[in-house]
Amino acid sequence: MSDVLSRAKERLRAVLERSARLSAVERILISTAALVLAVLVGAVLILVSGRMTTCTTAAATYFGVGFCYDPVTVFDRLFFGALGDPMNPLFRPFQGEFAPPFRKGWSPFNAAMAVTLRETTVLVLTGLSVALAFRSGVFNIGTQGQLVAGALASALGLLVLAPLVPGGVMGTVLLVPTGLGIGAVAGGLYGAIPGVLKAYADANEVITTIMLNFVAAQFALYLVSNHFQRPDSQVVETVPLPDGATIPSVVFDPRMKFSLFALAIAIGFGGVIYYLLRYTTLGYDLRTSGLQPTGAEYGGVKTKRTIVASLTLSGALGGLGGAMYVMMILGNFQTGVPSYGFDGITVAILAGNNPLGVLFAAPLFGIIKSGAIVIDTSTSMPPQLVDVLRGLIVLFVAMPEFFRMIGRRTIAEKPNPDGGEEDA
Amino acid sequence: MRELVSIGRRRGTLVWIVVLALVGVSLSGFVNKGTVSSTLRLSVPIAFAALGGIFAEKSGVINIGLEGHLIISAFVGIYATDLTGNVWIGFVSGVLASTLLAAVFAVVCLEFRADQIIAGLAVWFVALGLAPFLSTVIYGSVNADSASFAPITIPGLSKLPGVGALFDAAPPVYLMFLAVGGSWYVLNRTAFGRWVHASGENPQALDTAGVSVRRVRYVSVLLSGVLAGIGGASLSLSLGEFSGNGQTMVDGRGFIAIVVYLLGNYNPIGAFLSTTLFAGLQTVQIQLQSGYLPSSLVQTIPYLTVIVVLAVVGRTRTPDAAGDHYESGEE
Repeated sequence: MSDVLSRAKERLRAVLERSARLSAVERILISTAALVLAVLVGAVLILVSGRMTTCTTAAATYFGVGFCYDPVTVFDRLFFGALGDPMNPLFRPFQGEFAPPFRKGWSPFNAAMAVTLRETTVLVLTGLSVALAFRSGVFNIGTQGQLVAGALASALGLLVLAPLVPGGVMGTVLLVPTGLGIGAVAGGLYGAIPGVLKAYADANEVITTIMLNFVAAQFALYLVSNHFQRPDSQVVETVPLPDGATIPSVVFDPRMKFSLFALAIAIGFGGVIYYLLRYTTLGYDLRTSGLQPTGAEYGGVKTKRTIVASLTLSGALGGLGGAMYVMMILGNFQTGVPSYGFDGITVAILAGNNPLGVLFAAPLFGIIKSGAIVIDTSTSMPPQLVDVLRGLIVLFVAMPEFFRMIGRRTIAEKPNPDGGEEDA
Repeated sequence: MRELVSIGRRRGTLVWIVVLALVGVSLSGFVNKGTVSSTLRLSVPIAFAALGGIFAEKSGVINIGLEGHLIISAFVGIYATDLTGNVWIGFVSGVLASTLLAAVFAVVCLEFRADQIIAGLAVWFVALGLAPFLSTVIYGSVNADSASFAPITIPGLSKLPGVGALFDAAPPVYLMFLAVGGSWYVLNRTAFGRWVHASGENPQALDTAGVSVRRVRYVSVLLSGVLAGIGGASLSLSLGEFSGNGQTMVDGRGFIAIVVYLLGNYNPIGAFLSTTLFAGLQTVQIQLQSGYLPSSLVQTIPYLTVIVVLAVVGRTRTPDAAGDHYESGEE
């Protein structure tokens, strides 16, 4: 019996190692290709929608036809606007002009950059949340709800605790970790619900997590509007958190609502999750359940407990993201939380569910989210374009076979000993 | 094998008794012409999306993007109606848009072997972004409006107490009854229905019998787009407006549709009966809102019911090959 078990474990380990080796380079190529393709389709969409709307002067003329929106301008605003316009217009290496590449007076600590980085901070956490679950074969679509649960709990918890704690640095040292902890616990518990339902009642987690997103939003609306409403406010929100309960900023102006501490914590979690998945027993259980659920069970993995652990951890990361959102960006809880959870799905898929990949995919989405604000203020393009891009990216990343076919046609056909079958 | 089937049947029957009891309890005291007609109206988008989901999943392709089909057809229906002034042209345009989206999904899943869940999510995301985007481009706001369907009233019958609502409704309600019956007939009494079944349960056998699995799955996925498209266009054109705030006016109905057909065990009639459960709950919820409970809390009822129902019913037996790719040996 133990012989069978050890052989099963050996086989699993081989599968794990092979799939990890196969994916790394290929994933980067596929993700890049998917991004490029999404931008191209986005450009076509911008041109087409530029013909559907009306304007007095055309923003651009291509092939003798005027368009109301110019894709070049839109994508320039989207990407460079999000970084605070760093490029020197005189820097044109293709024309042989080598002026300094960065614009005079540009500082990396500008306001647009602060928005980009604070979005990145939350997206790293939601991306890790989704990636961890997907990696263990659990489709957690509920990071959004777990984030709302974490955000609400940390805001309410901090409002209760803050008066009991001394002010000044001491208060911050006590309150910030507490607030983050409350968010993580609340998100974790909210994630555990679909985990338990999947493990012990066989309820499909895709549906339960989506439903719990709706429940979290409505429940937060109920709690805040009926019990914790800020009296003088027109929107549904709590009173502001006291100063000591928000994450202190460094280098950046505090009014920009971004803290390098927060970003460092989020990146730290990227490392922690990578280590957890790669070097710990729990991580091994999670990965094997994701790759071969029946094989994992045979190899001695307690599948049910692993499912609950996976969704709880995933939810905790989402909840932590919610706490960051409240304690760094908002300074209180408001209903109508942005779709960080759904963007987390895109980040995770783009990163091939690799925690280190998330650290690269999240800033990209930070740029896109922040660029949407620049687009909204500086062009007539509706910022919802960004949501379309998100969908297109997921769509293209979902079809690696498409890129493999193109690859096979352009490069000479090479026999693939592994058959190319892979988890997506 | 036969034992498994009979266990499945018995479990199905049990579920049905529970469901019907729930419907009875939730609707007793509320049944009047207003609630029946409101329940029917709210049933339309869920029922059509569920019928679409049945065809796709029975053929082996899990279409989790139903929500996206509803969103895109709801918007295109309004836009085309506004453009042409004809509700029926708008309706057909909405269905075409949804079918086009289904075609993209089918190609991505069947030609490029994409993971069906992720591709389905992509369909949802694309529609969730595209509909409000186009609405803003065209109308300058995420909301748009147009003409709406006029009800068809059958004289005499519409005066009947309670059930009178059945004979005084917008065209999509009548279409729904036709589609439920038609889907049941196609799936259970025609060759195509048997192919769909085989394609999801045992594609090899179908292939051996000389029927193209790929073609059956294409047709099924396209049908899911057509049916969900009818649901989405009906949703917006019954009101004569599209609202694209937040999760849009579709607001999770596509996902409820999935639960509904799981609960109905892939049977169109079962799916329709469970649709009326959710639509009934929604009707009751709207009535409760004017009463004692805070509306935000009442609005969680349909979603919580989905979760409880899924937990109680557990996983209904999905078709064996659902989610799998199938490569014909002949190629």
